[in-house]
Amino acid sequence: MTEKILSLHDLTIDLGGKRVLNGINLDVYKGQIIGYIGPNGAGKSTTVKIMLGLIEDYQGEVEIFGQDIAAGDHTYKRRIGYVPENAEIYDNLTASEYLAFIGQLYGLDKDAAETKAWQLMREFDMDHVFRTRLSAFSKGMRQKVLIISSLLHDPDLLFLDEPLNGLDANSVMIIKDILAQLAAQGKTIFYSSHIMDVVEKISNRIVLLIDGAVAADGSFAELKEQSKEGTLEDIFNQLTGFDEHEDVAGNFVSIVSGGAHHE
Amino acid sequence: MNDFNSLKCLDRFQFLFKRVGIDYDAMRNILQLKLTMDQRRVPAIFSMNSSKKKQGNQFLKSLWYYVLYGLITVPFLFLGGHYMLQMSLLFGITMFFLMTSMISDFTSVLLDVRDKNIIGTKPVNKKTINAAKMVHVGIYMALSAGAFIAAPLIVMILTKGIVFSLLFLGMLILSLIFIIALTALIYIGTLHVFSGEKLKDIINYVQILLSVGIIVGYQLLARSFEMIDFAVSYTFSWWHVMIPPIWFGAPFEWLLGQHNAGGIVFLALLALVVPIISIIIYARLMPSFERNLEKLLNESGTSKRPLFDVDHLWSRLVCFSHEERVFFQFAAAMMKKEREFKLKVYPTLGMALFFPFVFLFNSLNDLQSGDIGDGKAYLTIYISSIMIPAAVHMLNYSENYNGSWIFRTIPLADSTSMHRGAIKAFIVKLYLPIFAVLSVVFLFIFSSRIIPDLIAVFLAGYLETVVSYKILNGLTFPFSQSFELAHDTNTGFNILLSLMAAVFAIVHYSMLSVNYGIYIYIGALMIGSVVSWLTIFRNHNQTQPNQAS
Repeated sequence: MTEKILSLHDLTIDLGGKRVLNGINLDVYKGQIIGYIGPNGAGKSTTVKIMLGLIEDYQGEVEIFGQDIAAGDHTYKRRIGYVPENAEIYDNLTASEYLAFIGQLYGLDKDAAETKAWQLMREFDMDHVFRTRLSAFSKGMRQKVLIISSLLHDPDLLFLDEPLNGLDANSVMIIKDILAQLAAQGKTIFYSSHIMDVVEKISNRIVLLIDGAVAADGSFAELKEQSKEGTLEDIFNQLTGFDEHEDVAGNFVSIVSGGAHHE
Repeated sequence: MNDFNSLKCLDRFQFLFKRVGIDYDAMRNILQLKLTMDQRRVPAIFSMNSSKKKQGNQFLKSLWYYVLYGLITVPFLFLGGHYMLQMSLLFGITMFFLMTSMISDFTSVLLDVRDKNIIGTKPVNKKTINAAKMVHVGIYMALSAGAFIAAPLIVMILTKGIVFSLLFLGMLILSLIFIIALTALIYIGTLHVFSGEKLKDIINYVQILLSVGIIVGYQLLARSFEMIDFAVSYTFSWWHVMIPPIWFGAPFEWLLGQHNAGGIVFLALLALVVPIISIIIYARLMPSFERNLEKLLNESGTSKRPLFDVDHLWSRLVCFSHEERVFFQFAAAMMKKEREFKLKVYPTLGMALFFPFVFLFNSLNDLQSGDIGDGKAYLTIYISSIMIPAAVHMLNYSENYNGSWIFRTIPLADSTSMHRGAIKAFIVKLYLPIFAVLSVVFLFIFSSRIIPDLIAVFLAGYLETVVSYKILNGLTFPFSQSFELAHDTNTGFNILLSLMAAVFAIVHYSMLSVNYGIYIYIGALMIGSVVSWLTIFRNHNQTQPNQAS
C-alpha cells in the first residue's frame, strides 16, 4: 500500500452524555476516495469535526499526515480542504472577498488567492458575480463557492460533507469528474453523503458507520460480494438492518387515508 | 476591503501580540474581514429609524449619538462636594451605557458559531482566533466609550486639570476591561449550565432582562438623587464594595482628594485588581467557552408534552369558531416561542408593568398626604396601555415569515378568523397578565372601590388593541413579514395611537366628576368594543355578496 494519510485508532466520544462514536478504527491511504456513509445520527459529521480539530475531548488517537492532532499543532490543517454540511458562509461578503480571506488563512498571498479564485469561478461560469455579495447567491452558487474555497490552496486531503447539495445535474457531473481527477493525482478524499448512487459511482472504498462504529469497509464490489445485493442502497438497507421500508410505507399511506377517523 | 484606521493603529502594538504567541498577520486578516462585514450591518441604535440600509459603517455614525448622550454626564462633575460622589455617578452611567451597547451589539460577536466552522477548520491557532474576537469587541467598545466620554473629558480637562483627566482615562480603560470580561463571564456561565435550544432561550431572557434592567436602572438612578446625601465628605459603608462604579470613583478620592481612609484605599485597589483578575479568569475559561459554544449548534433535548394545556383552555373560552381557536393557539405559541418577537416585545411589556408605578409614586410625592387611597392616582394604570400599539404592530412580523405561505394555501372559510385569533391571543397572553398584576397591586393600594374603574381601563385597552390592529396591520397575515420591514412603516401612526391611552385617561378622569359617570363610561366602551369588533372583523366571505348587490 502507499502512504498512510490518516489513521483513527479506537476513536470514542461522548457528547451530551450520549456515546456518539464507539471505537472507530480506520486507516486511509493516499489517493483513496472514501465514501463515508451511515444513517442519520451515526456519527459521520462528528468524525469529520474531530479530524478538523473542532471537537476536542475525544478518546483514542487521530493521526493525520503521521502527526497526532492532539499535540496541539494546527499546521496540519494547511493541507486539508473542507466543505461543511450546512453551507455556513459569511454572506455579507462578496465572493472575491470571501475567497481571498480563506486563501490568506491558508497562507496564500492575497493577490494570488484572488487571481486563482477568479480563474476557478470563471470555470464555473460565475466570473460575473465575483464581486457580488454571497447573500444574493442561490444555494447551488454558494455551494460552488464553498467547493472553490476548499481547493484554493491545493490541499492533499479533502473532507466533503454533502458537497453536491443544491447543485444541478450538469454541475454534479463536473464535480464528480473533478474529484476523480484529483484522486488520480494522489489527493485523498473523504466523502460523506446520503445519496447512495453518487457514493457508489465515485468512491473506490466505502465505509459504513452504524451507531458510532464501522459496520462495513471495502470497495463497492467487495460489499456487493458479501451481501449479494444489487445496489449500494440495497446493501445500505441490509447492513443497517432495515428491510421493512415497504411495511413502513404501507402503514404510512394507510394512516394518511384513514386519518379522518383520528382526532 | 479597505484598510481601517483602527487596524493601522493596532499595527504599532503588534509586538505585544507576537510576544504572547499570536499570529498577528492572521489576526489582522480576520479583523479586517470582520470590520468589513460590520460596515454592512445596522447596529441596534439605528435600527429604529433607518428606512434603507446605507453604505458605510453605521456604527461609526451612531457614535455621534453617543457623544450627545455623553453630554448628560457633564453636570455630575459638579455635583455635591466630593470626588467620590461625582465620579461614582459618572462611572455608574458610563458603565451602564457601555454594558447596554455590549449586550445589544456584541452578543452576536461573542456567540458567533460560524467562526468555529469557517475559521476553526483553517490552519490558525485557537489563541489567535480568540484574540481576534477580543480585539474586535475591544475596538468597538473603545470607540463607544471614547465617544461617550468626549464631552465630560473636555470639561474635565478645562476645570479639573490634566492629572485628573489622565486618572480618569486610566480608570475608564480598567472599567472597559471589567465590562467586557464580566459580560463574557455571564455568557460562559450560561453556556456551561445549559445547552441547545434551552441555552438560546436563556440567552434571550438574559438579553430581555438586561434591556429592562437598564431602563429601570436609569429611573432608579434618577430617583436616587432625592435620597443622595449631599454631605461634604464621603463615609465608607460595607455595601459600597458591592457596587463597581464606586470602586472606580475611589482612586480620585484617595489620590486627588487626599483622603486615605482604609475603606477608600480598599475600594481603589478593587478598581485595579478586579478587572485584571476577571480578564485572567476569562482568558483561562476561553477554551471551555469555545467548546461549549458547540452546544449552540446541537439541537438537543426532547420536549415533554405539557400536563395541562392552558392555551387550549383559553381558546375554548374566548373563541367561538373552530378556525379562530386554531389561530389563537398558533399565535399564542408564536408569542411564547419566537425569540426575536420576545426580544422586541417583552421589554416593552416590562416597561408597561413598571412605569405605572413610577408615575404613581411621582404623583404621591406631589400630594404629600396620607390619603393616597382616596385619590385618583390609580389612573396611572393607563400608562401600561401606551405599549399596546407597538406590541400589536409586532404581530405582523416573524423571523420565519417565509412559513406564512401556508396561510395562502389552506382552505379557510373565513379569512378574518386568523386576525381575530391573533388579537385574542395578544389580549389573553400578553395584555391580560400585565393588567392583572397591576390590578392586584392597585386594588391593594386603592381598595375595592376602583373595581369599576379597572373594568373601564381593561375595556379601553381592548378597544385600543382592536383599533391599533386595524390601522397598523390591516389585513396583513399575522407573523408573515420580515422584521427588517418593521422599522420603516407606520411609526407616526404608532405614536398617535399611543396617545389614545391618554385620551381614554382624560375622558375617564372627567367622567369621574359626574354622578355614575363611570358606569356611563363603561357602557360607552362596551358598545364601542362590540361595534368595532363587528365592523372590523366581519366575515368577508359572507359580506362580499351583500356589498355587490
